[in-house]
Amino acid sequence: MDVRAIDLSATSGHSRLHGASAAAKLAAFGLVLAAAVLQQNLLVVAACGLLLAALAVGSRLPLRAVFGLAAYPGVFAAVFALAAAPDLLSGAMFAVRAVTAALGAIILVFVTPYPQIFAPLQRVLPEVVGDAMLMTYRSLFLLADKFEHLRLAIRLRSGLSRGHPVRAARASASALGSLVLYAVDLAQREYDVLRIRGYEGGLRVSSPAAASRVFDAGLLLAAGSVFALAVVFRLAGAALTPVSWLPAAFAALVLLVTLAWRLVPR
Amino acid sequence: MSHIHIPDGVLPLWLVAAGWVVTLALLWYASRRARAADVRRKVPLLGVVAALVLVSMSTEIVPIAYHVNLTVVAGVLLGPWLGAIAAFIVVVMLALLGHGGVTVIGLNALMIGIEMALGWGLFRLFVRVLGRPRVRWAAALSTVLTLAVTTTLLVGLVALGGGGAATGRETGALDPNSLTFANPFGAGVISVNTLRGAEPGSAEPVAALSVERFALVVYTLGPLGWLLEALVSAAVLGYVARVRPQLVFGGALAAVPRGPTGDAGVS
Repeated sequence: MDVRAIDLSATSGHSRLHGASAAAKLAAFGLVLAAAVLQQNLLVVAACGLLLAALAVGSRLPLRAVFGLAAYPGVFAAVFALAAAPDLLSGAMFAVRAVTAALGAIILVFVTPYPQIFAPLQRVLPEVVGDAMLMTYRSLFLLADKFEHLRLAIRLRSGLSRGHPVRAARASASALGSLVLYAVDLAQREYDVLRIRGYEGGLRVSSPAAASRVFDAGLLLAAGSVFALAVVFRLAGAALTPVSWLPAAFAALVLLVTLAWRLVPR
Repeated sequence: MSHIHIPDGVLPLWLVAAGWVVTLALLWYASRRARAADVRRKVPLLGVVAALVLVSMSTEIVPIAYHVNLTVVAGVLLGPWLGAIAAFIVVVMLALLGHGGVTVIGLNALMIGIEMALGWGLFRLFVRVLGRPRVRWAAALSTVLTLAVTTTLLVGLVALGGGGAATGRETGALDPNSLTFANPFGAGVISVNTLRGAEPGSAEPVAALSVERFALVVYTLGPLGWLLEALVSAAVLGYVARVRPQLVFGGALAAVPRGPTGDAGVS
């Protein structure tokens, strides 16, 4: 996972979705996730996934990164399905559900900076947890950079010790050990900074206003419609099964139109 | 086993909700304990160790699709209560990256929290029994035992949640036997049966997850992961014990002798 690419997209993107308020995006994500989880009709869950894919395309997100990350849980779901699913269709349902839910979460982090996602969580979680979340976000980039350098060093060293896997393994372990020591030293430095600044608990993140309240309302309406559709299909059960191809066909059409729109040069 | 790779919507709601309730209660209690002493030192340490686990999880051993977890190492550094908080943070961030379901954050955090606490306890026990010079053996044994226990917990979770509404599904116009879609226009476009799918009538009968098959797969592939994780944890903790022993034997919050800065130490 390339957290830098995600952060860059979240902080410097210019789509309407980027400009929406974090609260609206979180609520919309919650509705779509609930729709995917409670739905038992494969085609309706697939429709949710296709609509999310259209949203990613329409927001001009880096598609290779978004769909690459979304496919990852699909692979694990497929393994889980092979190991535990009672039949092929249940297995397919596991995989489609996993990819749909993951796609929703991934779109959320690609259009919303992490601190904005954590801000609402901070209000409901204990103070220490909220603060530690923000510190994790900060440390992640520093450690990822350090780890990249260490991996480069390991690669160079392994190149020198070709045919000596034990030596290369020792070098790798020492590098991971160094990363642990670096992490502890980093925590000490951050503690020093917090002490100087008089930190007593309670880091606060300000939430920027939404670029357009109308878009926020539209986003919530769309997500609410998806959720309502899922509820209707769940409550109606078999009665609506014969027409369950309709939402999937509509979502596929939306995706095709969005793809065509994206291909038009701006 | 570390975090559960079970996707959203597979486990039943009562189990998912129970996971959230227990995790939030644990988080509340762990936070109260963390606030009892110098919180300023704990917050950055929590953040850094959680980030360390996240970075290590992004390292995949490609041929077998296994990634290092360092949960036992994190447990040894943080102890059980701070470990519970770090586990929750790690799981939230992983879920936002699509790695592990969002609804199973509670169960996942519980699983990693147990792994960190158990790893911490077993490591201390083995260090006491084997002695400090055999820190690598202590780390390896505690990792293998911890992962074996949490893998068993995972199988138990699937057994608890298997079947029922979790695996209920309808096919729409999909034939579950042949996995082919029925053509909705097969009987002509203008027809009363146009929108009738391949499955008139009720939904498929609910089938249960195959716990035996799941356990077989997990216990067959799992030991390879346990072994790799044990080797990595042993090497890392062995290295750290050699360079800075108080971190391993006293935890990251043990008193760290601070060197003089600037002119303060110049006599």
